[in-house]
Amino acid sequence: MDSLKLLWMSTGLANFELGQVIMMLVGCGLLYLAIARNFEPLLLVPMGFGAILTNIPVAGFSEVGGLLHYIYYAGIDTGIFPLLIFMGVGAMTDFGALIANPKTLLLGAAAQFGIFATLFGAIALNFVGLDFSMKDASAIAIIGGADGPTAIFLASKLAPDLLGAIAVAAYSYMALVPIIQPPIMRALTTESERKIEMAQLRHVTKVEKIIFPLGVLLMTIFFLPAATPLVGMFCLGNLMRECGVVDRLSSTAQNELINIVTIFLGLGVGSKLSAEQFLNGKTLGILALGAVAFSIGTATGVLMAKLMNKLSKEKVNPLIGAAGVSAVPMAARVANKVGLESNPHNFLLMHAMGPNVAGVLGSAVAAGILLALVG
Amino acid sequence: MENLQQLFIEAGTLMLAGMVFVFAFLGLLIVFINIVLVRLANKYPDAVVENRNSSKRNKKKEDGKNVSPAVVAAISSAVTQYRQQHSAQK
Repeated sequence: MDSLKLLWMSTGLANFELGQVIMMLVGCGLLYLAIARNFEPLLLVPMGFGAILTNIPVAGFSEVGGLLHYIYYAGIDTGIFPLLIFMGVGAMTDFGALIANPKTLLLGAAAQFGIFATLFGAIALNFVGLDFSMKDASAIAIIGGADGPTAIFLASKLAPDLLGAIAVAAYSYMALVPIIQPPIMRALTTESERKIEMAQLRHVTKVEKIIFPLGVLLMTIFFLPAATPLVGMFCLGNLMRECGVVDRLSSTAQNELINIVTIFLGLGVGSKLSAEQFLNGKTLGILALGAVAFSIGTATGVLMAKLMNKLSKEKVNPLIGAAGVSAVPMAARVANKVGLESNPHNFLLMHAMGPNVAGVLGSAVAAGILLALVG
Repeated sequence: MENLQQLFIEAGTLMLAGMVFVFAFLGLLIVFINIVLVRLANKYPDAVVENRNSSKRNKKKEDGKNVSPAVVAAISSAVTQYRQQHSAQK
């Protein structure tokens, strides 16, 4: 009889807690979004599955000795996984559109306002009983950068307890770019502004593309060394792509390596989706703030483009300002799509790639500033 | 409450410093592109791309020369026939 009782006590059914069941359902929800809705499936599949694994009673996936525990501490706590992903993103990024039209860097800079404005929102949530410190607020605000690896990197340094919720919010909103951005873009622009056709971009030479990442790195070393982990890995990936002598490394960084790391990153983030860390008011606050950050970033990007139109002779279609929030290449595609609705012959994709990649640099710089001033 | 006020002031300072720095950094990058990269582009133009294009063009021209008029006529009639059938189906 005792052995039967012992056997029963070792089953999952006897040990389930309500929180664990809810979090498993959250994991299933993430899997549904990824598989049925195609929302950031590359990350949400391992993340959703990680959420299920970490909430299995008795198995101890996220306790010392458990697989997810080691994945998290080896890759995310140390910051290695997001940095390797950033190297892969660098290897996939073509800065040609940005170099051809450097003014678009200003759009990428303006869209970072979403990050810094959200700091206020996070602090204001202290009024409703959510206890967010300045470090927490900074980690939440970076969701506005719409850059998954940057958000995970900063959250792992400033607020590891909030990492799961921040990563889920960041990737959810990145997947929701086509739904969140267009209404804001339409509300802030007139029909005639959306019809603006931009001048064709000049050809960018190979030498320019090789020197650019080196120049960015040099500037980061001089002015913001705190951002060099992110910017440095990004520039390494980009240099490997552009220099043309290490195609094998470039290909590995943007295919095999980034895929392997994405699996582990997703599992590691999923391990943070435990009931005690996720099922609380803070998560709701983070999800709400993420949406605010994203919307403000989109709006300021568009408004900056309108301001540039007022000050400069060379016209800029304000829709491409929305791509300044990064979320490469989804935000650029959305700008292109909204532009085509107003003018079916106006293809803005290449023009929007400029602010889009500028946004990646901008959010990495913003993360560096937050690390330097708050971390 | 005082603590919160302090946090708001801190957030405001961070916002101001952050945005100024982001604009300054990316603004400097614009200067870098306009001064250094554009000069480099003028000094070291992309010879490889031009050669590749011109060699392709030459190749195409040569290919065009080698095709006999009979083959061209055969292809043209086949294409016309296909188009007629295709439009009939529609």
